[in-house]
Amino acid sequence: MSEVLPISAAVSVAPVRFSPRRVWTLAYATMTQLMRMKILPFLLVFCVLVAAMGFGASVINPEQQLSQFKTMSLGVLQIFSIVFGIVATALLLPKDLEDRTLYTILSKPVPRFDYVLGKLLGVLMLIASGLVIIDAVLSLVLWLQQSALFEASLAQLHSDKQDSPEVVAQMREIVARQGLTWNLHWAVWAIFLKASVVTTVALLLSCIASSTLFTIVITFCITIIGHGHAMIREFVLQPHLGSTSVRITSFLLAAICPDLAQFDVVDSVANGEIVPLGAVYEMTGIAALYMTVYLFVTHLVFVEKEL
Amino acid sequence: MSATPAVSVNHLTKVFKGSLGKGAFRAVHDVSLTVNVGEVYGLIGPNGSGKSTTMKAILGLLKPTAGDTRIFGIPSTEVASRRSVGFLPENPYFYKHLNGRETLHFYGKLCGMGGEKLKSRAEEMLALTGLEDAATRRVGGYSKGMLQRLGLAQALIHEPQLLVLDEPTAGVDPSGSRIIRDLIIEFRTRGITVLVTSHLLEQMQEVCDRVGIMAHGRMVREGRVEDLIAVENQTEMVLENASPELLAKIDALVKAEGGGTRMLRSGHPRTTLERLFLEATNEPKKP
Ligand SMILES: Nc1ncnc2c1ncn2[C@@H]1O[C@H](COP(=O)(O)OP(=O)(O)OP(=O)(O)O)[C@@H](O)[C@H]1O
Ligand SMILES: [Mg+2]
Repeated sequence: MSEVLPISAAVSVAPVRFSPRRVWTLAYATMTQLMRMKILPFLLVFCVLVAAMGFGASVINPEQQLSQFKTMSLGVLQIFSIVFGIVATALLLPKDLEDRTLYTILSKPVPRFDYVLGKLLGVLMLIASGLVIIDAVLSLVLWLQQSALFEASLAQLHSDKQDSPEVVAQMREIVARQGLTWNLHWAVWAIFLKASVVTTVALLLSCIASSTLFTIVITFCITIIGHGHAMIREFVLQPHLGSTSVRITSFLLAAICPDLAQFDVVDSVANGEIVPLGAVYEMTGIAALYMTVYLFVTHLVFVEKEL
Repeated sequence: MSATPAVSVNHLTKVFKGSLGKGAFRAVHDVSLTVNVGEVYGLIGPNGSGKSTTMKAILGLLKPTAGDTRIFGIPSTEVASRRSVGFLPENPYFYKHLNGRETLHFYGKLCGMGGEKLKSRAEEMLALTGLEDAATRRVGGYSKGMLQRLGLAQALIHEPQLLVLDEPTAGVDPSGSRIIRDLIIEFRTRGITVLVTSHLLEQMQEVCDRVGIMAHGRMVREGRVEDLIAVENQTEMVLENASPELLAKIDALVKAEGGGTRMLRSGHPRTTLERLFLEATNEPKKP
């Protein structure tokens, strides 16, 4: 205890500013905290499953097989990322409250917004890293499968004596369209966007209720309703339909729930349709808007929260 | 020393709302206190008297129902008020996946520290709290006393000028608790202000300049320790190796003196703060 605690002069009264470094510290801690919850083996199982699906299926025709593989793996990936986002977020805040780690964190000069943002980024960063790994595995499997299928079809055509240059070119085109293209990455990006929006909703609910079960159940409900957003909107916009209370409820639901169908590109990607870059930008913009609004409301709730 | 007090609590009232409006509970009732810069202030009181609640309000973790709290003149509602406070909550707990050293680094970074400065500061704090050997062990496996020590280390990491310690010695072994007491005395010589609660009244009497005694959410006594525990019309005599004969002689002398002089008791002296504590907190509850 020699020159350990020097007395500095006056205490600064300047407001504490938002600090990206602090947010990063919190996000990184959140990420490592989640990593210790044994998620990596889960990820590994998923990758093995994808590989098995890719190589194990019997050959029907190259186009269908590639398409089916994409539909299945992307669908599972979507569910996986949403479930992870919701559950992880629902666990984090109540845990910090219960363990009183929140007391020690917020009694430091840490604005509550930094804390909330750090938690959100931590979860999103983990989802993103998982998706990047899986995207790589998917791409590899798809590429291998694509070449294998092309070879097989070529051999088939050859033995049928139908390997005229036009037919081969056509075959190559079909396989390439269903194979590894940028579309796959856009689909994974869309999956990430949807999971991010749902995670932000979970964070908001978790700040309101600080109960894990409540957050999980309600966020799942909102996710399901969010997929039928267009239906609710149509219903609300039709004049003379349903009683007033039902109409008000639907209107509120439409106002509260995000329109998650905006991010459904998986089907068109699986069908080998091209996702235009404009659509990607639009999707990203919509997600950013949703997240900003939800995060803002979260902040308003959390600043007032009694700990 | 500046005129702004380190901590000021003005007519603080905290009511916890029960669920569905039922069972509202008034944990703190119109409490005012001032901790001046450089002094050690002890808050004592029975379990559930509102000490921790008052501290949480000071740190902005709870919103007062009425009244306000300030740190170095800055309202607790502002984040800036927490810039030079170190807080040790009761029964502290940390991220159990981090080890002791990583925990200190985490809290240091939250305070905007970094690099070599933070590293050396963290080592210093580990040494100070006797946790060097446990520095690489997961906090999840720490004992209660070790968590308490780590809590003290994280409270000190950013060299705060005010320390708010909620039962720093709870669960700490006798030698550790003595070390903490000596630390508090050392903080005072360095001009660091300390607001502390503890149930170890003997230690509180030794380290505190002033104490406030809380009971049922109210401040029932407040003042300088010497003033509070001095009983004006009584004198305490402490003798060493006194024979029974000598004691009998003294007793006879006192009796011979007559008038209002009486021997109230003799025997081993009690901690006087403890006596005061029991008196003050056993007074009938105010409505
Ligand atoms: N979040 C809360 N909700 C409802 N009641 C609370 C809450 N926090 C504290 N209380 C109540 O407020 C009263 C004061 O609690 P507090 O923790 O301040 O006591 P304390 O003086 O620190 O006691 P101890 O010596 O046991 O630590 C208690 O009766 C407690 O039950
Ligand atoms: Mg307490």
